[in-house]
Amino acid sequence: MSSMAKQAQQRVGLLQGTLDMLVLRTLLYGPAHGHQIGKHIQRTTNEFLQMQHGSLYPALHRLEQRGWVSAKWETAPDRNREFKYYRLTDKGRKQLLVEESQWKQMAEAVARVMWPAAEES
Amino acid sequence: MKWWQLKKRDADLERELRSDLELEEEEQRENGLSPEEARYAARRAFGNAALIKEQTHEVWGVASIECLWQDVRFAFRHLHRSPGFTLTAVLILALGIGASTAVFSILESVLLRPYAFQDPGGIVIWREVIQEAVKQYPSVPDNYRHFLYLSSHAKTIQDAALVQNASFAITAGGDHPRIEKGLSVSPNFFSVLGVTPMLGRAFLLDEAQSGRNDVVVISWDAWQDLFHGEPDVVGRTIKIKGESAMVIGVLPRGFEFPVINEMRGSASPDQTKPYEVFQPFVPQGDDLTSDDGDFAFLVIARLKQGVAVGQASTELASLLSAYSATNHLPLHLSAIVEPLSQEVTGSVGKALWLLFMAVLGLLLIACVNLASLQLARAVVRERDNAVRAALGAGRMRLFETAFTESVVLCLSGGALGVLLALAGIRLFIAAAPENLPRLHDIRVTWPVLLFACGVSGLAALLSGTLPALRSIRSNPQRALQSASTRILRAGHTPVIRKLLIAFEIACTVVLLIVTGVVVRSFSRVLNQPHDFDASQVILAEADLLSPRYEQPNGAGDSARSECIDRIIDKIRSTPGVESAAMTSAMPLSGESAVHSMYRPDHPLPESEVPTANLRNVSPVYFPTMRTRLIAGRDFTASERTNPQSAIISQKAAQAAWPEGQALGRKLKFNGRNYTVTGVAADARIADIKENIPVVYLPYWHDPPASVFFLVRTSRTLDEFAPIIRREVWNVDPEAAIPVIEMLDTQLVQSVAPERLQSIVLSSFGISALVLAILGVYGVLAYSVSLRRQEFGIRIALGSGKSALIGLVLLQAAYPVALGTGAGLIMALIALRWVRSLLYQTPVMDPLAVGGSVLLLLVAATLAAIVPARRAASTDPMRVLRME
Repeated sequence: MSSMAKQAQQRVGLLQGTLDMLVLRTLLYGPAHGHQIGKHIQRTTNEFLQMQHGSLYPALHRLEQRGWVSAKWETAPDRNREFKYYRLTDKGRKQLLVEESQWKQMAEAVARVMWPAAEES
Repeated sequence: MKWWQLKKRDADLERELRSDLELEEEEQRENGLSPEEARYAARRAFGNAALIKEQTHEVWGVASIECLWQDVRFAFRHLHRSPGFTLTAVLILALGIGASTAVFSILESVLLRPYAFQDPGGIVIWREVIQEAVKQYPSVPDNYRHFLYLSSHAKTIQDAALVQNASFAITAGGDHPRIEKGLSVSPNFFSVLGVTPMLGRAFLLDEAQSGRNDVVVISWDAWQDLFHGEPDVVGRTIKIKGESAMVIGVLPRGFEFPVINEMRGSASPDQTKPYEVFQPFVPQGDDLTSDDGDFAFLVIARLKQGVAVGQASTELASLLSAYSATNHLPLHLSAIVEPLSQEVTGSVGKALWLLFMAVLGLLLIACVNLASLQLARAVVRERDNAVRAALGAGRMRLFETAFTESVVLCLSGGALGVLLALAGIRLFIAAAPENLPRLHDIRVTWPVLLFACGVSGLAALLSGTLPALRSIRSNPQRALQSASTRILRAGHTPVIRKLLIAFEIACTVVLLIVTGVVVRSFSRVLNQPHDFDASQVILAEADLLSPRYEQPNGAGDSARSECIDRIIDKIRSTPGVESAAMTSAMPLSGESAVHSMYRPDHPLPESEVPTANLRNVSPVYFPTMRTRLIAGRDFTASERTNPQSAIISQKAAQAAWPEGQALGRKLKFNGRNYTVTGVAADARIADIKENIPVVYLPYWHDPPASVFFLVRTSRTLDEFAPIIRREVWNVDPEAAIPVIEMLDTQLVQSVAPERLQSIVLSSFGISALVLAILGVYGVLAYSVSLRRQEFGIRIALGSGKSALIGLVLLQAAYPVALGTGAGLIMALIALRWVRSLLYQTPVMDPLAVGGSVLLLLVAATLAAIVPARRAASTDPMRVLRME
C-alpha cells in the first residue's frame, strides 16, 4: 500500500463515523446526488463544516458497498442531465437509527463530563 | 469488489465526479464568476480528484492489488526491453528450479512418500545373524522354527508374518499362462500390514495347511489384467502351474508391497516387477524340523506401539542367542531388526540425499549468478531510481518495484522449470536401473509442485533482495548531480565476487573432468569388442511348464527337446528371419550355473580347478549371435543322439589348457564327459563388463524349462513379437512367454547404472558450465557498466579497441586461472574417489582432463568477450556529455 493512500485513510477515518451519519440523515429527505448532499450539509451547518466535496465520494461508495444506500443514474428534474442519485435503503434507515442513538449517548456522556454543574441544577 | 469489475466501476466513478464537478462549475458561473474563475473555484471546492479516486479505490479494497499490478506491468515492460537478459535469467532459473524439482520428486516418491499400509512406520523386518558366517553374510533370512519361537516370545513385537518371493505361472480362463511375481506369505500377512482387501477377504489362519492353501489374493492390477476388472472375481478360479486356486480377495488399488529380497540389500536386478499374487505359505518337510539350516524366510513384523526398532533388535537378538544356547545348536545366533523403508531403499537413500544437496547447491549458485546479473542492471537503473525517489516515491515502493522484477523472473523460471522437471523425470525413469526401489511410483505430485513454488519463491528472495536493496540505496541528490560514486568504485570488483567466480570455475573443472572420465569409461564399456552383436536380435523367453515335461525316464526331457526344436524350425522358416537359436540362460543377466572344468588327463586340487558358466545352446547359436568360432565346428543335428561335444570359450580354453591345443581334448563338466569340438571367441554374454569363461553344451540331453530364443531378423519387434507368440503357442499352448524384447534393450538395461551415472554427471557438468559462464559474464558485465565513464575517457584519450578488450579480458583472467588451477587439484582428489566407478579407464585420462579444461577456457573466453566488446564500443561523446 502506498504511503500517500495511508495518510489519506487516516484523514477519512477521523471523519468517518460522523460523515456517514450526516450523509444518511441528509438522504432521509429523499434521493440526492453527491453535489446536493455536500451542499446541503455545508448549508445546514452554516458553512461550519468546511469540507471539500471530494471527500464525500469515498464515504458514499463505502455506504453503497455496505448496502446502506443504493445508487442509480437518473436525469435531474431541473437540468437536462444525468446524475448519480443515492437513495436510503431499509438497512440504511436502521443504521441511521443506530448511529443516531450512539451519537446521542456519546454527546450526553461528553456533556456530563464537561458540564457536571449544569446537570445538578 | 471483484477485480474484473474494476474498469466498469472506475468509469462510473469518473463520470460521477465529472458530472458533479461540472454542476459545481455551473453554479459558480451563475454566482457571477467568469468561466475560467468558475472552473478554478469548482476545482478548489472539490479537492484533489486523483486522491479522491485513490481513496475510493481504498474503500473498494483494490489499492494494493493495483500497486502490485502496476509493478508487475512495469516489470514485464522492463524485462521486455532487454530480452537477452530476460531469456538468460529465466533459463538459469528454469535449470536450477527444474533440476531441484526433478530430484525432489524422485526423493519424495522413493524415500518420503509413506507406503499404503496402516501406520507404515511401525513395520519392520528381521533377519538372523550367524556369528560363524558373519564375515561372508552379515545377516541371513530367518529359519522357520526360529520365526515361530521369536514371534511367540518377543514382547516388543505385536505380530509377525513370513514372506518368501515366488513366481507363479498363472492361467486365467482359456488364456495362455503368464508369469506373475508374487509372495508366499503367512495368513496373517495382511493384518500385520493393516490392509484389508477391497473385494472378498484375506487369508484364514487354517489356510496355511496343505490341501487348504488353494486360495489366492490378487493385486488391483492383476484383477484388471487377468479378469478385466469384472466385479464377480471373488470365487473364480485360476490355474497356478496347472493346479486350480480360488481368488478370495482383491487388494485396494494403492496397495503395492515393495520389492524385497530374502538376502539383505536392495532387490536384485531381475526383481523388477511388482508383486501381483499372494498365496498362503505352507511349511513342509525340513522347514518344520531344521534348526541349523533352511535360513530361507524374510519376516515382516509390526512393532508394539511405542517400541523403538533398537529395542526390538536387542530383544530378538538376546532371545535367539538364548535359544541357540539352550538347544545346543552348532551355531551362535542373534537377530537384527530394521525398518522396512530402510530395507527397501537401502543405499539408494544416501545417494538420493547427496544428489538433492548437490542440486540445491547448483540452485544456490544460479541465484548468486542471477543476483550479480541484476546488480549490473541496478547500476544502469540508478538514475531512474534517483528520479523516482526525487519525485517522492517511498523507499518501500522502490524496493517493491525492483523486487517484483525478480519475482516475475523466478515465477516464469519456476513454471518453465516444472516443465523441465517433467521431462527430466521421464528421462530418469527411462534411464534408471529397473530394480531401483519404487521406480514406477515416481511422479509429480502436489507436494512436488508445492516444493517447486517454494523453491521459486526462495530463488526470488535469494536473487532479488540484494539488487532491490541496491536500487533504494541511491541518494537522489548525488546520483543526479554526478556519477562520482561510480568513478570512485571503478575498477575494483569486490574480492568476494571474484573468489565466488573462481570457486564456480573450480567446481566446474572438477565436474567436467569427472564427467569426462566417467563418460569415457561408459563408452568403453559399450564399445569394447564383446564378440557378439546384439543389434537386430529379438530375445524371447518361453517357460515350458506343462506337466507332460515332468514324465519320468527321460520321456519328459525328450518331449521338451522336441518342442524346442519345432519352435526353432517354425521361427527359422518365417520370412525375414536370418537365423534362430536358443540358449538356456538370460543373456546379460550375470553368471549362471558355474561348474568346475575337470581334465581327466591332468587332475588338480579342487581349489585350483578352473570354473566356467554352463550354457545349453542349439545349433546356429554362434552365427545368430555373430560370435566367431576360432577353432573347430558348430553343433549339428548329429549331437542330438550323441551329445558329448562341447564348445568352450577362448578364456575357458586358456584356463583349462594353458599350454594351448584345447580342440579335441577331453573334459568332465557338471558330472558328464565331453570332447572339445570347438573354441568360440570370448563373447561377454553373461556380463558385458566381464570376460566370463563359458562352456557351451548342446541342449538336447538337458533341455531347460526356461528357454531363451534368439532370432536375428530385419523385422521390427512390433511386427515379430506376435509371430513368436503364435509359433510358441502353436507348439505348446501351455507355455508362458514373460519376455519378448530386443537384445539391445537387454544390453542397455544391463548397463543402466553406468548409464544413469553418465547422464546425471553430464547434466551436472553442463549445468555447472552454463552457470560458470554466466557467473563470469555477470561479474564482468557489472564491472563494465560501472566503468563506462572510464572507458569513454580512455577512448577519448586514444586508447584502441583491442587494448580495452584486453583490459576487460585480463580482469576475467585472474579468477578463471585461479579457479582452473584449484579445480585441477580438487579433481585429483575427486578422481581417486570415483575410481571404483570406472571401467578399464585410467583415472588421469588425458583426453577427458585436457578436453574439460579446454572446453571451460573457451566458454569462459566467450562469456568475457561480450562485456569486453561492449566496453570497447563505448561511445566517448555520449559518456562525456552525460557528465
